[in-house]
Amino acid sequence: MPTTTEKRASTEATERKGWFRALYGRAGLSASVLAVLVPVALLAPLVAGEFSTVVGVEILILGLFALSFNLIYGYMGQISFGQAAFFGLGAYATALVCRAFQASTGEIGYFQFFFALFLAIPVSALGALVVGFFLVRLTGIYFAILSLAFGELLFYLVFSWYGFTGGDDGIQGILSPPFFRNSINYYYFTLGVVAAAMVIIWRITQSPFGYTLRMLRDNQRRAAFVGINVRRAMLLNFVIAGVFAGIAGSLWAPFQRSVSPALLGWMQSGSPVFMTLIGGADFFAGPLVGSMIYTALNAYVTRYTVFWPLTIGSIILVIVLFFPGGILSIIDSRLSGSSRKAEEPGRSGSPELANDRAVK
Amino acid sequence: MPTDIGSFLIQLFSGLSRSMMLFLVASGLSLIFGVMNILNFAHASLWLLGGYLTFSLYQAFCSACGQHGLLLLLAIVVATLFMFAVGWLIERVLIRRMYARELPEQLLLTFALILIISDLIKLIWGVQNRRIFLPIEPVEALGAYINPYLFVVIGCGFGVAAGLWFFLHRTRYGKIVRAAVHSREMVGALGIRIPTIYAGVFALGVAIAAFSAGVFLPIVPIGLGLDMDLIVQCFAVVVIGGFGSILGTFVASLIVGIVYSFSVLIWPGGALAIIFLILVTVLILRPWGLFGTEMRF
Repeated sequence: MPTTTEKRASTEATERKGWFRALYGRAGLSASVLAVLVPVALLAPLVAGEFSTVVGVEILILGLFALSFNLIYGYMGQISFGQAAFFGLGAYATALVCRAFQASTGEIGYFQFFFALFLAIPVSALGALVVGFFLVRLTGIYFAILSLAFGELLFYLVFSWYGFTGGDDGIQGILSPPFFRNSINYYYFTLGVVAAAMVIIWRITQSPFGYTLRMLRDNQRRAAFVGINVRRAMLLNFVIAGVFAGIAGSLWAPFQRSVSPALLGWMQSGSPVFMTLIGGADFFAGPLVGSMIYTALNAYVTRYTVFWPLTIGSIILVIVLFFPGGILSIIDSRLSGSSRKAEEPGRSGSPELANDRAVK
Repeated sequence: MPTDIGSFLIQLFSGLSRSMMLFLVASGLSLIFGVMNILNFAHASLWLLGGYLTFSLYQAFCSACGQHGLLLLLAIVVATLFMFAVGWLIERVLIRRMYARELPEQLLLTFALILIISDLIKLIWGVQNRRIFLPIEPVEALGAYINPYLFVVIGCGFGVAAGLWFFLHRTRYGKIVRAAVHSREMVGALGIRIPTIYAGVFALGVAIAAFSAGVFLPIVPIGLGLDMDLIVQCFAVVVIGGFGSILGTFVASLIVGIVYSFSVLIWPGGALAIIFLILVTVLILRPWGLFGTEMRF
């Protein structure tokens, strides 16, 4: 936490630099970014074409996926390389239920559709509970690798269980009710769901539980000393993150009209990690901004060159080497005009703390 | 399950050769992590690059002086040396800046390398698979026909394992490397250039990987995407064996390679799932691996 003197110094600085910085200092970067993004998100499909609307849906869904990852990484200080497992579980749950309803009538009703979407929540929660039970026993690099291993395990299960999941063919031809087949309608539906999910995630990160997570990130031993049940808190957060990943997955299935095992693969697990780091893990809105950059680059660069991995790889390289805090931390240090690096106190610029995290 | 001794032998030898490939790639991964604490996601991509390079060199040598199996040896040596230089360069330019960073940023950087390397390969060599055909007759043993080249490959694996052990335990440079693992400050204080040691270790790991890709060219065709499969399995090997332990990596490669080779017979789709089941079990019961030490983390 900043000391009183630092606080007073920064307050004086903001007073000197006028109303914009005072307002900015009060609202924080994430709120400012969202204030800009919300009107853009609301108006975008009316102005942009079909293709951009589809990209917009992708940005929203993958943004929610990345936000769920950052609950584990940014707030709890562990890296989950298997987050796609829950994204995939949600997608498959929705896809299988949709297919079952379609098989009987050939169409799908609105109630049935919402039921299929909703089912992703208990399914991904259950999956995260089982995986998390083992995962919370480990931290640091072992947490990362075990999560990768569980993700791959689920991937191969889905991949080889032809009778139930369709194996590597996946499930094709998932119908949504007529209203949602229009990409603009589906865009606004997704926007609503993602916005609601973001409000809930924001509330969680600002609750006492959210601060418990930050404590687990900074020092687990001290957290245990003050009487926090470390494993239970980690497990709860892991399940919450799994549920939001599952919701993202359930939105993905009717949007793509098909699911395949690749949704659970480790490349899919990698994307929220990259989005979060590109946007800035220290900011609530970071994963969303990262999703915008990553998804849009992916979509538009692919149109102009077949060598998009080269392009995107070089961009990631530049960001990692020269802008380690992500895009938002650059903007933040420019706008606030102070040396404050992040919304999260005590995170950046403190290698001792980073070591502390990695070791325990 | 294999019913007769012949098909048992075939599975055993293909499993052993698979183990050796895993070991040759994973040993570099383990060495680099053990010394510099860097998890090199792009290791298998550098392996792939080494393989393509060997292929092109072999083609060039063959067109210059006629078809001969020994030219492959020359191509492997040249490609290995070249990839040593590439590894050195990558460490000097990129990896060096990541030592003070956190794990996800290191992974992000090496992931970017994967994207760049695989696209470069696509740019230079195209998308079709490449392999080298050597005119070798299979030999018959106990009713099974076995490609004698498998023995070459297995011999290479054991040779590199022994060589690495000798290097780390019996030579001056190896001792410096091991000392740097324990206390880099002390080693630095004794007047040894830590940055050179780090670059050398990274380059050595890359060179071993490139060497293995070349050696395996006659039996394992290389293609885009192979690096992804390999790196995930190599992570499994390194974790099962214990980070930084060459012996552990060797034993884990044997376990993973042979278990994979036999479980393909029982449950073709789930062979990898069985490997990951082993990995999960090890991580839960003994997270520091079979031969690792708990102290370091």
